[in-house]
Order: sequence, then C-alpha cells, then structure tokens
Amino acid sequence: MNNLITAEGFEKTFNFIKLIQQGLVVTVLLALLTVIIGFILGILLAIMRMTDIRPLRFLGQTKSGKLRKNRFLVFLSKFNPISMIATIYVEVIRSTPVIVQIMLIYHGVFGLIDLPSFTFFGFISFERFLPGVVALGINSGAYLCEILRSGIQSIDQGQTEASRSLGMSKVQTMRHIILPQAIKNILPAIANEFVVIIKESSICYTIGVRDIMSAVESVRGAYFIIMEPLLVAAALYFCLCFPTSKIIAYFERRMSRGDKR
Amino acid sequence: MTNDKLIQVKNLKKYYNKDTIHALDDVTVDVNKGDVMVVIGPSGSGKSTLLRSLNLLETPTDGEIIFHGIDITKKSFINSQGKKERVNINLHRQKMGMVFQHFNLFPHKTILDNMILSPVRVLGMSKAAAKEKALRLLKRVGLEDRASAYPIQLSGGQKQRVAIVRALMMEPEVMLFDEPTSALDPEMVGEVLNVMKELANEGMTMVVVTHEMGFAREVGNRVLFMDEGKLVEQGAPREIFENPQHPRLQEFLSKVL
Repeated sequence: MNNLITAEGFEKTFNFIKLIQQGLVVTVLLALLTVIIGFILGILLAIMRMTDIRPLRFLGQTKSGKLRKNRFLVFLSKFNPISMIATIYVEVIRSTPVIVQIMLIYHGVFGLIDLPSFTFFGFISFERFLPGVVALGINSGAYLCEILRSGIQSIDQGQTEASRSLGMSKVQTMRHIILPQAIKNILPAIANEFVVIIKESSICYTIGVRDIMSAVESVRGAYFIIMEPLLVAAALYFCLCFPTSKIIAYFERRMSRGDKR
Repeated sequence: MTNDKLIQVKNLKKYYNKDTIHALDDVTVDVNKGDVMVVIGPSGSGKSTLLRSLNLLETPTDGEIIFHGIDITKKSFINSQGKKERVNINLHRQKMGMVFQHFNLFPHKTILDNMILSPVRVLGMSKAAAKEKALRLLKRVGLEDRASAYPIQLSGGQKQRVAIVRALMMEPEVMLFDEPTSALDPEMVGEVLNVMKELANEGMTMVVVTHEMGFAREVGNRVLFMDEGKLVEQGAPREIFENPQHPRLQEFLSKVL
C-alpha cells in the first residue's frame, strides 16, 4: 500500500461519494440518538444519585429521634439502595473502555435477542444500528450524570436556603433557582460531551454500523488507499464537531447575561 | 406592645458531630407579636443556629418550635377537626421572611424577577400585581431605578436592601435577620440598618442576629445574650447594656463596646 497522498486517490475516494454520504447520515443519526438517550439516562441517574431514600434509616435512631451510639446500626441506616445502584453504574461505565462496552452489548445482550433485520432510509441496517446507539447512550449517560450532578452541587447552598425561606418547594427551587444556574455552569462540559459522542460514534463501525469510518474501510478495500479517505473522514468529523461546540458556546454567552457588571 | 406569642421555642437542642458539639443547648424563648428581638453573643454561640432553626433551615435535634399553635419540628399535627395532618413547612416559611448575611439573591434573575418569583409561583399572585408591588417596595428603599438590573450590578448595601424587600413581598408575619450587615462595607451598614429601623417602627415582628450593638440598644425591645449554645441572659436593652448580670455577658460587653 502506498502512503503518498495523490489527487488520483481523492478521485477514487469520491467514487464512493454515495457511501460516504450515507455514512455521514448514519453518524449524525447515531450521535443525535445517543445524545437523547444519554441525556434522559443522565438526568435519571443524577436524580437517583442525589435521592435520600434510606429504608433502614430507623435503625440508626432511638425512638425519640436521636442518633444511636451503635456505629454498625448507624452505618446500616445510611444504606441508600437507589443512589448505590446509580453510583455503581457510573463507576463501572467510567472505568471500562467504550469499545469493550460496545462489543459486550452487541455480542452479549443483542446476541441473545433476535432483532428484526430490516433497513430504514434504505441503507441503515437496524440490527447493527440499534446496539450501537444503545451502547453509546449507556456510555454517555454515565458521563452526563456526573456532569449534571457536579453542576447542581456547585450551586451555593445559600441559593436553596433563600428559595426555601421564600416558601418555595423543593421542586420549585430545583426548577427555578438551581437548574438554570447549574445548566449555565455545565454548558461547556455538555458541549464537550456532545463532541465526544460524535467522535466516539466512529467506533460503531467495529460492529458493522455503516458510518463514515465504515465508508473509509470500503474505499480501502476497493482501491488499497488509506490516507485520502481518512482525510476526507477527518474533514467530515471536523465539520460536525466544530459547529456543535460553537452553537453551544453561543447559548453559553446568551445565558451569562446576569454575569456582566 | 402586645403580648401575643407568635413563636414559642421550647427546650430547643441542636447537636452535631455525634452529639459532641452542642450548638443549641436547651433554649426556651418566646417571640411576641411586635417584638424586635436582638440576639447577641460571640461567634459560635449558637445565635445563627437558633435563628435558622425558627424556619427549619436547621433541623433541631430535640425540642419544639410552636408557630400558629403547631409544632413545626414534627412531621404531623392534630388539626382543629381532631384529624392528623402533615406539617407543610413551605406554608410556615411563607410567613417568616429571612434575610441572610450573604444576601443570597438569585444571580440569574433581575431584581424585579428576584422579587416577583415567589409571590407569583407560591401565592399565585398575578405578574402585573406582583410587579406593581415590587416597584412600590423598591421605591421605599430607594432602588426603583435598579429594577431591571442583575444582582451583580448592585453594591452590597443595595443587594441587602433588595433581599429585605424580596422577603417583604410575601407579607411575612415575622422577619428573621441573620447578621444582615456583617458582609457589608462599613459605609453601607447604615443604609441597611435604616431600612430595618423603619420596618421596626411600622410594628414588624423581627428577630435579628447582629454584632451592631448600637442597633440592639436603639431599636431592639428585647436583647438575648447567648454563649456556648445557651441562652445566658435576656432583657430590655437598657438592662443588658447598662446592668449586665452574668459575668460572661459583662466580659463580652467589655470587649465589644
């Protein structure tokens, strides 16, 4: 294989323009659906991690409501199953590589389920696309959960106190006081996560999703050239990621109106 | 001054850190309608904890706080029909305005929005009516031209005046002040104290934790001295400042006056 970049190579690459276009559509769809799943999952997980439902709370208190002296009982009373499940989920996802997660979900979970094999838009095969989206969504859900949680917890406790002292409920405080400020603070981190999702979606070609990277592989298989299709892929990913972060930066500026003196 | 008891605090205790720190140690005190009760004492004496317990921003370990005949520290109470009813703390907090040391204005909202948020969302007031009321209150504290500004554009004294009128928007029966002038530049203390003085003159019931002895002496009708979580001495400002009984109070006054 010849690693020189030639005009001829690009010409050959563009013979596959149809495949590259389809790959672009697949990548965009993959990223969009992942963001939606990831966000819903992230919100759910963040709420789970911050709940304070302790079924064994009574063990740690005496009848008059005082804390018991017995350390073990007090420890048991702090057991919070919902928060624990979410924490384990987040830690496992964050401590394993995406490619392992995708393979596990594709072969392990979807290997057991018979997915209907049909294509939509004429070229996207459902049985490969769905596991890809699910795996990426599960992955980004964990990261978005941590971003949301840190954003919410970064808001000064005094804001909650002021809101509650005005008679607003927990939910109203969250909605009108905490979340608007938290989301403003975490927008850069969310933008980063969106860009990461677009880029990370490229590993879905390992389970046969026909995205941009898969088009690159097709060109290589046909003409034995690699640099030219890779450069085209890089340009396409850049054109997706760069505007995404710019659009979010715009919202960031709009939301920081209250910061100006 | 009437002797209607508005808030009764009975044997209030707040323990931290596996019961080793006693922030409040068996405090019993009544707040009467129309009282301007000033709480003084060294740092860490439990003044703020007592104040913050009154609207349950701090959950007491033990004791009672009776407001409108209901012990708000408990989960439920028996209503007039003899039925068990849940204590809705949001309802009680509406009637207790609170002003904080660090203002705690909502930075993402304009001054006007800071003020109308709770009346509109909690009391169901119309936006127009809330705006009108907010502007009227802002005018009273000389800030009507800052209605559309954001909190960060205001000075400390202006922020605290906004915080006071924001609490007044809810028509509270009692106002709780948690060291309202401690985070202010000295030259801004006066403007905030003046607003508080006016409020007191109008007959508002107030509980004020402060280091401003001048305010305590001039505006307060009762002064409480706390030390190490205990209510050490209380009385009219005159008695407290001119004829202190307890040695700890004498020592404290000799340092601050």
